[in-house]
Amino acid sequence: MNLRVVGCSYRTAPVEWREKLAFDGGKLPAATAELAARFGGEAVILSTCNRVELFVARPPGDRPFDAGLAAEFLAETHGVRADDVSPLLYDHADPAAVRHLFRVVASLDSLIVGEGQIAGQVRQAFDAARKLGTTGPLLNALFPAAVRVSRRVRTETGISQGHVSVSSVAVDYVRQVFDHFADKTVLVVGAGKMGRLTLKHLQELRPGRILVTNRSPEKAAEVAGWCGGTAVPWDGLDDALVSADIVLSTTGAPEPIMTRRRFEEKVLARRSTGTMVILDIAVPRDFDPRIHDGDRACLFNIDDLTRIREQTIAKRHRHLAPAEAIVEQEVRKFADDWNRRRSGPVIGQLTSEVDRLRDEIVAPLMAKLNGKLSPEERKHVEGAFRLFQNKLLHGPIAALQEASKDGQGGTFSEVIKKLFRLQ
Amino acid sequence: MRYTSGLEDSTRPTRMTPKRTTHSLALAALEAVETLPFEVPAPMSAPLQNVTQACFGLSYLVAFGLELARLRWPGAGVRYVGLAFGAAGLLAQSAFLAFHQPTPATPYGALLAVAWVLAVFYLYGTVHHAKQAWAVFVLPVVLGLIGLASTVADPTTASELAVPPWMAGDRFWGAVHGILLLLAAVGISVGFLASVMYLVQADRLRRKRNPLGGVKLLSLERLEAMNRRAVNAAFPLLTLGLLLGAVLLKQYHDIADNWFSVKVLGTVGLWVVFVVLLYLRYAAHVPGRRLAFLTIVAFGLVVVVLASAHPFAQAAVSAGSGGQP
Repeated sequence: MNLRVVGCSYRTAPVEWREKLAFDGGKLPAATAELAARFGGEAVILSTCNRVELFVARPPGDRPFDAGLAAEFLAETHGVRADDVSPLLYDHADPAAVRHLFRVVASLDSLIVGEGQIAGQVRQAFDAARKLGTTGPLLNALFPAAVRVSRRVRTETGISQGHVSVSSVAVDYVRQVFDHFADKTVLVVGAGKMGRLTLKHLQELRPGRILVTNRSPEKAAEVAGWCGGTAVPWDGLDDALVSADIVLSTTGAPEPIMTRRRFEEKVLARRSTGTMVILDIAVPRDFDPRIHDGDRACLFNIDDLTRIREQTIAKRHRHLAPAEAIVEQEVRKFADDWNRRRSGPVIGQLTSEVDRLRDEIVAPLMAKLNGKLSPEERKHVEGAFRLFQNKLLHGPIAALQEASKDGQGGTFSEVIKKLFRLQ
Repeated sequence: MRYTSGLEDSTRPTRMTPKRTTHSLALAALEAVETLPFEVPAPMSAPLQNVTQACFGLSYLVAFGLELARLRWPGAGVRYVGLAFGAAGLLAQSAFLAFHQPTPATPYGALLAVAWVLAVFYLYGTVHHAKQAWAVFVLPVVLGLIGLASTVADPTTASELAVPPWMAGDRFWGAVHGILLLLAAVGISVGFLASVMYLVQADRLRRKRNPLGGVKLLSLERLEAMNRRAVNAAFPLLTLGLLLGAVLLKQYHDIADNWFSVKVLGTVGLWVVFVVLLYLRYAAHVPGRRLAFLTIVAFGLVVVVLASAHPFAQAAVSAGSGGQP
């Protein structure tokens, strides 16, 4: 195979360069088509916020695509200097390129190991290239294989288990307490940026009602408008807490807005419904941590959520070794399959040709000996010719298969074609 | 061995008359046992007739072991093998109950019947809640009830068979009484399981454990609802069963010893616990954790009630061993 992947990622390029070199939705098709046309081969461009990679497969024997060519291409496409781009690029060839793609798609090379987005992004990049007609036999085999590797790594290891965003962890806690949300009330206290992100996740649960309160009525109204909730006055915080099932607190208050005493007297004493979940993601904290009892009130603050996030990431790293082993196994399998695919037709041609030659000799011989041989003797003679043919071909076929494994299959195939005068 | 519809025979002297003494009742019962036309089991062609308590007990035990293994090594293979063992256990237990027909009026029969219903509950839950550690909680209870059943008296002994006919289900109100209490016991068992799961889940939340790590459980809300429904359903059944039992006991054997038997006192105690439970839930709005603890206490009483002999059986034993009149 003559496969190269050249690109940059968060490991080699700072974010401003990744932004400069990224192929936005509109640029991507034209750039992919240009890449394939310019280098006369198959091409796929993978462009995400963490990496920009060019996959190019050229016919065997052609000059391989390399970092220099890639730097020129990227420089021309984005209007930057090739010399500036070159140091940011890495370059992987043949099995290393396969390994790189498999590691990327399995999320072993991601900023957050095990994240699930990259597999979809790789699939999208391949689909876009296939629609443009810039893929061929190698990339058409490679990318689906990569997606299968990703699936295998995810199912056979725990690398993608758990959630690694604070908002997702918060929702996981909420789901431990509640089963259905259509009859639940979410109370948003404050209007921080982080709060909006978590609120987005909570909105996906489709709660029955969202209440928003803020010291500033304008801000409360703005957030309520944004999330389809109802603004309630800051003075009514206690009443709102009494009716709330899930509380999301993100104020910028320097002191806790809810002490334990106030909570027990003004809120818990008036509640007749079940457990309340409080997600206090404000810094400094809005709710007194002693409110948490795991039964009537479950309070999770930013430290709790971050701790779970870090635990999950650490746990995922423990699955790296088995995941890498799967990738290695799949790289070997892909290379073997590819080489077999390349040498298979030559072996088939060779066998058919020698079969034909044998028939040319055996058929007249049998005609000449017609009636002189018993069916048993006839079978022996034909068998002897077949055995001779097999022994004769064993050497070249075995050598071709071995050469294919070593990546020399192409040369050997050509030699065999010439030696046996195969078309 | 089991007795058959020969009990319906009007010529045999087992029919109870109101207000007889325990002694005379016990004598009549023993007499009845002696004259009962026991059915000699005919050789059955079905291989299931050879099923023993050990067969389904061990099947459930293997299923439980596999479910525990699944906590450490989650995988579809272990789950399906565990399910297969659980289903095999349920099939074996069903066959056992069908062939041996232990009467639910005896501790042995009652414990096995409740265990069977919970085994169905286990299988349903394990299929329905594939990701939850359902079996880890239900199977120990099933195994415990089966184990307890094996420690109580042999159902074929005279004391067990001396249960009056209405308790054996041959008389309508006796059967209704038995079924009501059995269903109540199932309800309390379900409530107990929901409570144990609730406490584990609440403890995980209290300790702020990783929500996606460890044992997978239903949400607190779902478990609380399961407990509430089970208790709400069990209470009227228990009340009706208890009232019916009191009427029958009064009608047939109004003896102080009967009223103070473990079974009767335990059932009354259970009813009181239920009343407290309902009051705390609907009037006092106490937190779910306390309700869960109280449901566990109720289940403890259920086990005591199920495992204790019925007053009539006690009477028969006393009579048979020359006990007090």
